[in-house]
Amino acid sequence: MQTTKSFANLKNWFQQHPYLLFIAPGFILYSIFAIYPIISATKMSFYYSNGFGDSHFVGLQNYIELFTTKELYSQFLNAFKNNILLFILNILLILPVQIYLAYLIHTKIKGYRFFQSIIFAPQFITPTVVLFLGTLILDQNVGIFNEFLRMIGLEEWVQNWLGVPGMGIFIVFILNSWVGIGFSMIYFIGAMKMLPEEIFEAAYLDGAGYWSRLFHIVLPLLRTTIINVVVISYIFSMTIFDLNYLLGGIEGGYEHSMDVLTLFFYRVAFGTGGAMGGTVGSNSLGMGTTIAVVMFILILIASLVQLKLMVRKEED
Amino acid sequence: MFRSEKLYLSRIIITIYCLFTVFVLGYLVYNSFRSKQDVLTNTLGIPKEWSFDAYLDVFRVEGFHYNILSSVVILIGSLVLLIFLSSMVAYGIGIYTFKYKQVVTVYFLLGLMFPVQLGIVPIFLIIKNLGLINSVWGVVLILGAGISVPVLLLTNFFANLPRSLYEAAKIDGAGEWKIFYKVMFPIASPIVVSLCIISSVGIWNNFFIPLITLQNDDVKTIPLAIMKYTGNIMLYIDNAMVTSVIATIPILILFFIFSEKVIESVASGGVKE
Repeated sequence: MQTTKSFANLKNWFQQHPYLLFIAPGFILYSIFAIYPIISATKMSFYYSNGFGDSHFVGLQNYIELFTTKELYSQFLNAFKNNILLFILNILLILPVQIYLAYLIHTKIKGYRFFQSIIFAPQFITPTVVLFLGTLILDQNVGIFNEFLRMIGLEEWVQNWLGVPGMGIFIVFILNSWVGIGFSMIYFIGAMKMLPEEIFEAAYLDGAGYWSRLFHIVLPLLRTTIINVVVISYIFSMTIFDLNYLLGGIEGGYEHSMDVLTLFFYRVAFGTGGAMGGTVGSNSLGMGTTIAVVMFILILIASLVQLKLMVRKEED
Repeated sequence: MFRSEKLYLSRIIITIYCLFTVFVLGYLVYNSFRSKQDVLTNTLGIPKEWSFDAYLDVFRVEGFHYNILSSVVILIGSLVLLIFLSSMVAYGIGIYTFKYKQVVTVYFLLGLMFPVQLGIVPIFLIIKNLGLINSVWGVVLILGAGISVPVLLLTNFFANLPRSLYEAAKIDGAGEWKIFYKVMFPIASPIVVSLCIISSVGIWNNFFIPLITLQNDDVKTIPLAIMKYTGNIMLYIDNAMVTSVIATIPILILFFIFSEKVIESVASGGVKE
């Protein structure tokens, strides 16, 4: 009796608030798998824990340990340095190329549809295959780059290009660029399409050349888009993982030469034998989440800069 | 567009770059039909004979179809969950007016601010407690719950629909739920298709989440399964070639058929992956 009545009440209540029924399922799953983990991870970073048994509150101890223990701090700094290196290379070398390619395609260079599709296509290739394609080119034994060097008489240059000490991070950069160059390029093309035709028409009639129109008209108008791409590129560079792991393994290569923050985090939190299967440190989850929180703060800074720039733009 | 220059140099550069990509993919396909010895010892030579054995072996011996199945279930499951949840949430926020609407909107956008690394340890523990380690459904739940971007795009869409549409359906006597799935959801289908395209890339190529939750060989997704072969090419180069072709070429063919739509979706989405 009681249940039927309360059920009727509930039904009645939902009829008055129909939006709740629509929002509830998404709200529940999103809260469990997207919001709760963030809160929980932040909390865990204040605990000494490896997920089995012993777990106690240690306050800021994990953070202090991360920044004062030589072994941890040097790994952190080295990984962060590599993230920053990838970001800088992206901004200095890839972003200009993306704008250049976008401009060529936007101005409908002959065959632009084909070029656009081909440049974008590697986006769909899974990271393991990307590395394998790199191997087919750069490997010591089966790589065709060495064959090519022999063909043009540079025999003494022949080597295992994937294993050159200190080069790994650049291989990661090149492979990632090949995969990702089309993404922001499409974004730039989209932004160029939004620019009013008349400006180009006027400049064209004034006798401004093809490249001078790019530098004097298009680039200044793309300012906001460029800032957005820089921020997206920063976030991407800060969270990069796949190829570094595939090429360098869980240690990130010889002397952690291609280590990045996510890999450092993965190594500390999930150990060597896969997810908590191998040699897990006694504070793996505490220290792991601490690294994750620090990563989040490093990313948040960029998001705030972006927000600030956008707000300033609104005020102009 | 207003171009008199011939741009010879640029055309040469862009052509060489694109031909390089085509060459690399062609070289992969070409090598997948050669025997292991042939590839290893006679790298650039012409093969003595063509062989399809490796293609049969990855299914008969290696059970690669299980990995394909895993990837397909994860893709479809995640997409269905993602679209189902996000379109309903977006509809609820976009069409109705209620107290704290702003707060709810912001709440669903919070997910955009945080990198997946931050939450992955608790997510792993939840999945473990649910007994979903080594289950594709664990991955489906994690990827299907990341609804921030779809909610953002769909909320804008629903909020901008003319109010009269909803009123008219209401007058016809349709219930709330029926209005949603008979009238409103079909109207949103162009955006839903774009969302599916943008999300599929991220789901299909996702490496981090399956790496952490899938350990058994027969539930691993395609990218994880291939890792086993590419990690030791002296032993497995033929398997690596074949599985790479299977993982790559069908997707690229699909992309080239629908490239206009795909590129348009990415350009309009303009969202981080």
